[in-house]
Amino acid sequence: MAGDIWVIGESAADHSLARISTEVATLGRSLAGASGHTVTGVVIGASPAAAAADLARYLPRVLAISEPTLADHASGTILAERLAGLIATHQPQVVLIGAGPDGRDLAGALSALTGLGVLANATAVTWADDGPLAEHSVFGGKLLTQSALTSGHGIVTVRPNVVTAEAAPTLGSVETVAPTGDATLPRVTIVERIAAAQAVAPIEEARIIVSGGRGVGGPDGFTLVGDLATALGGAVGATRAAVDSGWVAYGQQIGQTGKIVKPALYLALGISGAIQHKVGMQTSETIVAINRDPDAPIAEFADMFVVGDLFEVGSALLAELRARPG
Amino acid sequence: MRIVVLMKPVPDPASAGERLGPDGRLDRASVPAVVNGNDEYALEAGLKLTEAFGGDVTLLAMAPSVAPETMRKALAMGAARGTLVTDPALGGSCTVSTARVLSAALATLEFDLVLAGVDTSDGQAGVVAPGVAALAGLPLLSYAAKIEPDAAAGTVRVRRITPTGYDVLEAPLPVLISCTQALGEPRYPSLKGIMAARSKEITTLSLADLGLDGSTVGGAVSTTRLVGSRMPAARAATRIVREAPDDAARQVVAFLVERRLI
Amino acid sequence: MSAPDAPGPLAYRLTEGQRDLRDAVRVLADERVAPRAAEIDRTSEFPWDLKQLLAEQDILALPFPVEHGGLGGELLSVCLAIEQLSRACATTGLILAVQELGALPILLAGTPDQQARWFPRLASGEQLIAFALTEPEAGSDVSAVHTKAVRDGDDYVITGSKRFISQGSVADLLTVFAVTEPEAPRHRRLSAFVVELPTPGFAVARLEHKMGIRGSPTAELTFDAVRVPAANRIGAEGDGFDLAMRTLDRSRPGIAAQAVGIAQGALEAATAYAKQRRQFGQRIGDFQQVGAMLADMDAQTEAARQLLYKACTEIEAGAPDAGRWSAMCKLVAGDTAMRVTTDAVQVLGGYGYIDEFPVERMMRDAKITQLYEGTQQIQRLVLARALLGKGS
Repeated sequence: MAGDIWVIGESAADHSLARISTEVATLGRSLAGASGHTVTGVVIGASPAAAAADLARYLPRVLAISEPTLADHASGTILAERLAGLIATHQPQVVLIGAGPDGRDLAGALSALTGLGVLANATAVTWADDGPLAEHSVFGGKLLTQSALTSGHGIVTVRPNVVTAEAAPTLGSVETVAPTGDATLPRVTIVERIAAAQAVAPIEEARIIVSGGRGVGGPDGFTLVGDLATALGGAVGATRAAVDSGWVAYGQQIGQTGKIVKPALYLALGISGAIQHKVGMQTSETIVAINRDPDAPIAEFADMFVVGDLFEVGSALLAELRARPG
Repeated sequence: MRIVVLMKPVPDPASAGERLGPDGRLDRASVPAVVNGNDEYALEAGLKLTEAFGGDVTLLAMAPSVAPETMRKALAMGAARGTLVTDPALGGSCTVSTARVLSAALATLEFDLVLAGVDTSDGQAGVVAPGVAALAGLPLLSYAAKIEPDAAAGTVRVRRITPTGYDVLEAPLPVLISCTQALGEPRYPSLKGIMAARSKEITTLSLADLGLDGSTVGGAVSTTRLVGSRMPAARAATRIVREAPDDAARQVVAFLVERRLI
Repeated sequence: MSAPDAPGPLAYRLTEGQRDLRDAVRVLADERVAPRAAEIDRTSEFPWDLKQLLAEQDILALPFPVEHGGLGGELLSVCLAIEQLSRACATTGLILAVQELGALPILLAGTPDQQARWFPRLASGEQLIAFALTEPEAGSDVSAVHTKAVRDGDDYVITGSKRFISQGSVADLLTVFAVTEPEAPRHRRLSAFVVELPTPGFAVARLEHKMGIRGSPTAELTFDAVRVPAANRIGAEGDGFDLAMRTLDRSRPGIAAQAVGIAQGALEAATAYAKQRRQFGQRIGDFQQVGAMLADMDAQTEAARQLLYKACTEIEAGAPDAGRWSAMCKLVAGDTAMRVTTDAVQVLGGYGYIDEFPVERMMRDAKITQLYEGTQQIQRLVLARALLGKGS
């Protein structure tokens, strides 16, 4: 498997395959095609079978490794140690990991243990000069840079929503492999798993996001944002100002210190488009903004900009959407 | 409670003036440096813990020699002292080097907790804190929204943000915790804090002081390299809608239909 | 070749400590004060939350000696803070300026015991102090004060009324000037007292409805046989007039700082507008008439600022002509604030005249800096007298 491209399949809490891993697997397949290398999926979990079977829909070959400690321990360090052992044995050229919280923890620990470099948070990955070439958005989206691994070997973490997941035409095989590698680093116990009170769709995965800012004015104003999200079948997002005011949960914050999203549609209500928010949503495919201030910065990068009161326009829009057949 | 907060001076994300220098690295003269946003949440969390449980906060940074000025801002918020690892060989370091240097520097300090931001606003990699934990052999409690030490038991509990809610993590001290904004707004430095910061000690360490050299860490052995850069494709011109609400709403719907979004 | 004790080219700059202090207050003003400014103006309510913020951040400690919990009372530092606060909200800047004004008589003439009694809680911001000198019939003519303080055993009994007292209704302490020696020469009639509130016989008779600085309550105060211990008298009997004048010499730079801050705020608002507002297919700032206005506003504001900073260092150094520096910096800064804010409204055109933008508020706020702590005419009188000497 030397020269192989590996895709790390992450298990969700219910042992199914995390959506980000389907995107990374799709990318791995296309890099394999471009480079002539083989591509292999690796799933390490307390019960890896389901996620491995899922991943085999995207990749020709998947290794499933059972690691019972993952049932009640934080995953990053454990996965890193097991993978470091596998990597020492099999010498893959590139390890692709999703750039979500779990993937970043894993990539950081794995990189430290193996000395492999990380091309982090790639917005696009191609193959060039016998190695991966990753593109990054920097300086608040003003510039795109391309970086390579010095040795051609290493780890690439891939941002959510930059690849459209697509299953392979044929189902791959799943091999069960015994765990190898050290297990000497300290473990972190998961004492309890708590589901959030308001179960909202993770905004990184939403196709449509309706987002509110300071202009929404308060938690009541977010009712309209939520209603529009429901009518469009999307998720609710928010700016830091709205989150800091306590109107919306932190998990829904988009921007510099929140999440980076790339939905098909980003509908922004009462959001000025300050740089800190812009970096989290500017790569959305379509951006529609409603704002009273015709000079709000978002007017410069929205596809459609409605000058008007967000409540008046938003309510009218809600009525229009609800009146649509089906 | 002895706390070390890892901090990084980053170009001010609000300045909008960043550019690359001829060497392909950030031209640091083009933008003012600030304390990385997520590191400020880590520092605030650390200061609150010392207020509740005693002890103090030591800052640790790996940065160019101009960094003390930025570190002073963090000292003004209430950290007791700082350690700055700075060395010409470190210019252009990758995340592997950064984790190695920081873990080596941690070995020179005494602590119960190491706090770090989950990522930095310039690199956004989010891999250095878990890397430092792995190299230093510390339990990693990441994406913290709440930190609750149990001094008597010698353990700490952390609420880790997950896509569906949160996990309650527990580990024996010492640990490394990566911190999020959910820990609470950083305080403003008070004027007395600013004045006191001027006389607080910043210890400067070179690679040699840590028993390292440019053959194992730093720009010369960077695992990644910048190949090129380009401007992002400009968006098509914005369609401006100024009609009354009902009419405007119909135009939005028509636009969404046109783009096959509904 | 320079002289051995030449200060070098960098001495004529703010010190690193002063710059740090200014920058910290600026961040606070931008992030915490500016978002409240329009509401404070609209509601005319004293911003207790911002007073609390100034206390927590040690900003109210600036005018006080270190041994009483203060930051040393260096005049330029106080003015830098007032300037930055006023750039966002003139009402908030005035909280610090009045805290200094009210405390100055105690600072200049109070005994160590008196300072130890009152300063710690003023420095911490737990208490506010106001300065009660002006009366309905004693404005520019300070010596015309009518309010009396009559000795009665170990007390004085104060009777009379004061008008236009900034923050008089929210203060915990008042420095009151009253006549103790009616028969003495004009400038030897007054004495100063610290009145601790609340106290029997004291009342806030009314609050003024003002053009600007609307969140800062301007009160009419009445004293109906208010008893004050003799231990609360600041300085000797008859020293009041001189003490009031020395206080104003040192407090006027605070008002100049408020004026410079207001001007700077208006300049920034007008510049931002001129950059993004487009007419006839270009930014309005690119029209020469608008660009030239902004250039003048910038130059005038900077000139006023530099005169203020110089005045602060001269007064701090004990210059014999402190009164001249003080009058001059307030005169120039007040007129600059009025001119620059008026021009800022002009740059914004119709938008400058409505409350959607801050410049109309700034223009209303600027006017007071030409009026209080001595009108511009009084400043000119002070300067003219310094030039010509007193006539016979």
